[in-house]
Amino acid sequence: MNTSRLIHHSIRTISRYKLRSAFIMLGGLVGAAALTLVVALGEGGQRKLLATERQLFGATSIIIMAGGTQIMGGPGAYSARLTMDDIEALAAAIPAIEIWDPQQAMPGASIRHAGNTATARILGESERAPQVWQRSVSRGAMFDAAAVRTSARVAVIGENTARELFGATNPIDGEILIGNVPFRVIGVLERFGTDIHGMDRDAEVVVPVSTLMRRVMNVDTISMAKLLVREPSQVAAASDEVKRVLRERHAIARGRPDDFKLITAVFVQKMMTRVQRTLSLYLPLAAGIIMLVAAIVAASLMLSSVAERIGEIGLRRAVGARMTDVQVQFLVETVATLFAGGIVGVAAGSAIAQLLANRFHLGPVISARSVVLGIVVTIVTGVLAGVVPARRAAKLDPVEALR
Amino acid sequence: MIELQSIVRHYPRPGGGTVHALDNVSLRIERGEFVAIAGSSGSGKSTMMSILGLLDRPTSGRCLFNGDDVSTLSVNEQARFRNERIGFVFQSFHLLPRTTALENVELPLLYSKRSDIAGLGRKALERVGLADRIEHTPSELSGGQQQRVAIARALVNEPDLLLADEPTGNLDARAALELMSVFRDLNDKGTTIVMVTHDTAMAQHARRIARIEEGRIASDSEVAA
Repeated sequence: MNTSRLIHHSIRTISRYKLRSAFIMLGGLVGAAALTLVVALGEGGQRKLLATERQLFGATSIIIMAGGTQIMGGPGAYSARLTMDDIEALAAAIPAIEIWDPQQAMPGASIRHAGNTATARILGESERAPQVWQRSVSRGAMFDAAAVRTSARVAVIGENTARELFGATNPIDGEILIGNVPFRVIGVLERFGTDIHGMDRDAEVVVPVSTLMRRVMNVDTISMAKLLVREPSQVAAASDEVKRVLRERHAIARGRPDDFKLITAVFVQKMMTRVQRTLSLYLPLAAGIIMLVAAIVAASLMLSSVAERIGEIGLRRAVGARMTDVQVQFLVETVATLFAGGIVGVAAGSAIAQLLANRFHLGPVISARSVVLGIVVTIVTGVLAGVVPARRAAKLDPVEALR
Repeated sequence: MIELQSIVRHYPRPGGGTVHALDNVSLRIERGEFVAIAGSSGSGKSTMMSILGLLDRPTSGRCLFNGDDVSTLSVNEQARFRNERIGFVFQSFHLLPRTTALENVELPLLYSKRSDIAGLGRKALERVGLADRIEHTPSELSGGQQQRVAIARALVNEPDLLLADEPTGNLDARAALELMSVFRDLNDKGTTIVMVTHDTAMAQHARRIARIEEGRIASDSEVAA
């Protein structure tokens, strides 16, 4: 008995049952593509998430959000009272605070320039935003303290907004209208991509916070502030202090809830762990279910193949095939068919993953891990799907089978 | 060459009870013979064919091949024995569809330990007069040609014995006669043939007829030339 001859023969048999083989391959293809896709995207997404998290919530940051009940819900707590004075008072009272940036925001404002219209989020920030948020300008300049002090109508805009409004021309020194208020573009923000909320951070306009409050929104509160303390070890004590000072300034009676919310690295890390666990558990689980379906499809098609080829199996036994030979043949047929589909699936899954990753600026996501996993899982699926049909074929009584 | 000694084969009947398919059958076949085992359906001739072909084991009795008891070989040893020593021809040909005549003929070599297999398939097809059909698939061949491919497959490993089970059952009269002349030719050149058939006319083409009735040998005689 020559095993390589038998394997070669089994693989050639696949091409004689084109339709059935095509369906089994399709199952392997879809399963492997889904698996590779979710693993690659999941890993890429996680990496991006962690990088973004580090950028937004470094180990030394404390974020104060106006409105006690909101959890990372963005701006909109207009009833809450968080003011520039509050934050200045905190900075004065708590020596651990090294630097801080207030923020007011307008979601989805309409911005115009010379007949072009774009929708972007308007952020009001201080001149310290680049240091506090770790995001600088790639062209032009950030506004300075004087601009914030005088509520100057200057803006730094995201790349996508720049492209929508200015096309290929240089946006620096161009004039844009936010609502009906004219601003002069002085810089373009560094590319960021999509953040953890799925928000396109390149469709954003940053203006001095005072300008946004007074000239555009006509409010005297801010929606949030980010404080950076000098050492990570100071975060816990400093946030307790922040809480005490803010409750005192807002005259919140003992036992009443805060009208603000503090987010620290610890809180964020906890949330990230939860998100990571979800991604690394449920995504492969979903892909696993698709693989299981592929295995069931392959197994049932191979079982019908065994039923259809009973005479052939009997003949093989008569001309000298051992039970093992018949078993090997059907197992090889199943594994090889699924594998052929699986290889194409891994390639397709990787390609789709990278296309999606490019769309969401996740960077390169195809990893050896996702490819190897896709291939290994396909082979395992093939073995699992092939075992039952192969054993059934091997156990057929040759006399019965030849009848 | 082959000797069946007091072969008994009982099956459990599906509804209970026992089928006595073979009841104390003894038969001796010498090298170079062409024997027809003739009988009506249910006479036990198919069971006899299965036992001769080592596809089934007798309930009792011995099957000797060149003096060795082969009925006690393990399943894998029997598989190897079938591969090397016995060629099978079936009523329904059992050719693999969408597979060329040559590949069909070479199928037994797939399970062979032999390494000198190059050209054997082609040679076997030449012996049955199908040298010009090697790349044809079964659907491109007539019934008679398909059965000749099956015979080439049975001969490819140069077996001691050719076992044919109702080989003319699916053929028209002319193709059946042609097949019988192929068998006579092969037998003239030394191949030992055992043919199981219910067709008395076909049995006349053999050189010896063993009639089997209700699991026993009813008669065993040479065919007058």
